[in-house]
Amino acid sequence: MSKVIERPRYVCALGGAIGTIQSLPRAIPILHSSSGCGGNLAGALSGASGYNGGNYCGGQALPSSNVSERDIVFGGEGRLQEQIENTLKVMDGDLYFVVTGCMVEMIGDNVHAVTKRFKGEKLPVLAAETVSFKGNSYYGYELVLETLFRDFVEPAPVKDAGTVNLWGVVPMQDVFWKGNLGVLKSLLKKLGYETNTFFGQGETLENLKNSGKASLNIVVSDAYGIEAAKVFEEVHGVPYITVPLPIGDHGTSRFLRTVGKALGVDEIKVEKLIQEERKAYYPYLERLADVYNDLDFQRYATVVGDPNYTQAVTRFLSDDIGWLPELVVITDILGEEQKERVLASFGEYESGLRPEIVFDEDASSVVGYINRHWPQNQGQKYHKGFAPGVIIGSVMERDTAEQFKVPLLPVTYPISNRVVLNRAYVGYSGGLTLAEDVLSLVVAHR
Amino acid sequence: MAKKIKQIAIYGKGGIGKSTTTSNISAALSVAGYKVMQFGCDPKSDSTNTLRGGEYIPTVLDTLRDKQIVRAHDVIFEGFNGIYCVEAGGPAPGVGCAGRGIITSVSLLKQQKVFEELDLDYVIYDVLGDVVCGGFAVPVREGIAEHVFTVTSADFMAIYAANNLFKGIHKYSTEGGALLGGVIANSINAPYAKDIVDDFVARTHTQVMEYVPRSVSVTQAELQGKTTIEADPDSNQAKVYKSLAQKIINHTESKVPAPMETSELRQWAAEWGKQLVALESGLIAPAAAGNL
Ligand SMILES: Nc1ncnc2c1ncn2[C@@H]1O[C@H](COP(=O)(O)OP(=O)(O)OP(=O)(O)O)[C@@H](O)[C@H]1O
Ligand code: SF4
Ligand code: SF4
Ligand SMILES: [Mg+2]
Repeated sequence: MSKVIERPRYVCALGGAIGTIQSLPRAIPILHSSSGCGGNLAGALSGASGYNGGNYCGGQALPSSNVSERDIVFGGEGRLQEQIENTLKVMDGDLYFVVTGCMVEMIGDNVHAVTKRFKGEKLPVLAAETVSFKGNSYYGYELVLETLFRDFVEPAPVKDAGTVNLWGVVPMQDVFWKGNLGVLKSLLKKLGYETNTFFGQGETLENLKNSGKASLNIVVSDAYGIEAAKVFEEVHGVPYITVPLPIGDHGTSRFLRTVGKALGVDEIKVEKLIQEERKAYYPYLERLADVYNDLDFQRYATVVGDPNYTQAVTRFLSDDIGWLPELVVITDILGEEQKERVLASFGEYESGLRPEIVFDEDASSVVGYINRHWPQNQGQKYHKGFAPGVIIGSVMERDTAEQFKVPLLPVTYPISNRVVLNRAYVGYSGGLTLAEDVLSLVVAHR
Repeated sequence: MAKKIKQIAIYGKGGIGKSTTTSNISAALSVAGYKVMQFGCDPKSDSTNTLRGGEYIPTVLDTLRDKQIVRAHDVIFEGFNGIYCVEAGGPAPGVGCAGRGIITSVSLLKQQKVFEELDLDYVIYDVLGDVVCGGFAVPVREGIAEHVFTVTSADFMAIYAANNLFKGIHKYSTEGGALLGGVIANSINAPYAKDIVDDFVARTHTQVMEYVPRSVSVTQAELQGKTTIEADPDSNQAKVYKSLAQKIINHTESKVPAPMETSELRQWAAEWGKQLVALESGLIAPAAAGNL
């Protein structure tokens, strides 16, 4: 029997796919599944992603074949065809995307055979077999991207040196995805590049369709979107790099140097940009210097969540605001190769920090790791356990935070106790936002 | 006080003679005065053909495809001597889920309590070849049938299939599933064929219910769309089927079989193979062959 994961921090592949498609401009997901999938997933996605309910044709308004027993016994392809026809008639989109639930995958419905019948119609109908017994949200995200790259992005033999694509920030799973993508796009603009982020503010399907002409794909993750990048490279001949999600000066400066190097940007230009950004960034933090010392703002921290955020938050806490994020719990299911890449992103701290990093999918295990890392006071005067401490994680760390009587800032999925619109944590500006949020916790009782 | 309905499932490798044997058992039970339903659990839906003059009846699933709600009485057809015939039916080959179809059909009749209403003595499920998935194990599972009989010949592939079925029964036996009544040895003509089946049942801790010879009377009856019981009631073959039916009537206690491990089964088959080769090449005197 396989291991049970207590309170997982993702939904199924179908859910990941829906979250991804509904975040694309003017794309309409069509579910080929039973009616429960769409309803449950819409609730799970919205409630856990800072109440991002999806827009037109998202959230609870998802077209679905709602297969019933009859369709299971005889096969659901006919029902799907009908659903696609009807959706094309009544829903106003520019791209239709069929994704599948477990039951139709079990019985082997051939969705590609059905969508093929719509080839040559005015609007494209794509399909991905989002087999939820094979993976979670992130797998669904990869599958959608792979399908878009294979079947929607047009071949572009001539590349444009001034254009890049960027992904790896997973819509919904990164609750701040929209804001984050916007920040990354404008940073790269300052380096002189046009960036397609596909999901961010102001993106269009047209940009996605023409993304084959980009000169580089930047995967802002050591775990997600890499398979899709391989597909992009294979189909469109565009190379890719992976780079950790950047928060604050230290993370973002590394990000700019890595990307600049890969793009062959003049080093002087990159350093100049970094200096400019720092000039804007540090004065804000300097304003806090006195009070930071007088009121002792420094804290121990436990960072819990996905690989993208945990490494970024840890570097930010350690090197940008001088905290002691000594314990990191990474909660996603990762392969050995992924783990290695992820571990490598937790090094070279300016502060000399050597955080303890554990991979564990269970929310309740965090307590044990905290107690192990910071043993409780056993009569000794200066041994006070995890205090003064802060947990940066998801809403699932609430019980743990209460138990240790420390504040919690939820920044990783799921987040149900914050409403998130365009807040961003990445980049220099996002670093300041995160500084505001974590340091406010320290003064919250005043 | 409702009487207890005896529910029986017949399994076995594809083409081994399940439907022929089942229909003859149904016919013999019916002639003996019992109220019988034969339930074909096979998308081919030909189980009850020889009870209905060779014709196909509309299946539960065909009916379900056309209407949202199916009344059990729309899918029950009377055949020879008033036997109730039902075919589960199923999707076209290669699409949908035939296993789910069986579950749907069986539970539809169960829900509508037709077995009780028709005051049946016997329900016999004739189930498709190999138990490929959960759906086809339904009659064994969930206490729908209490007794399972396996049709097998002395061919090794048929015995493999029987052994696989035993594994399934073994697995479900702890969860209130059906138990094994015994083996119906079909097409047993050569003397060694009986010995092979006897040896198999001894090793797997079960019994042979009946040895049914291969007979042209079966073929002739089938060509007329009839069972042997109907077409040729006084034949020897009909007597064999009647004797089999009587043994099923008398049968009360089924058991958990002891299936062989795959490697054990292979070795067992290989040893028999060697003996058969020796027999063919005349190394063993024909007189001694009867003892093999
Ligand atoms: N004892 C027998 N003597 C002569 N012919 C037989 C005998 N048993 C079965 N047959 C013949 O073998 C053929 C297959 O039999 P049947 O259809 O009963 O097999 P089955 O196990 O139900 O097959 P399937 O798995 O395809 O449903 C039929 O033509 C039938 O007449
Ligand atoms: S049935 Fe499968 S596809 Fe549907 S919600 Fe559950 S895991 Fe996801
Ligand atoms: S293997 Fe069985 S359960 Fe699975 S789809 Fe086929 S018939 Fe259905
Ligand atoms: Mg048959």
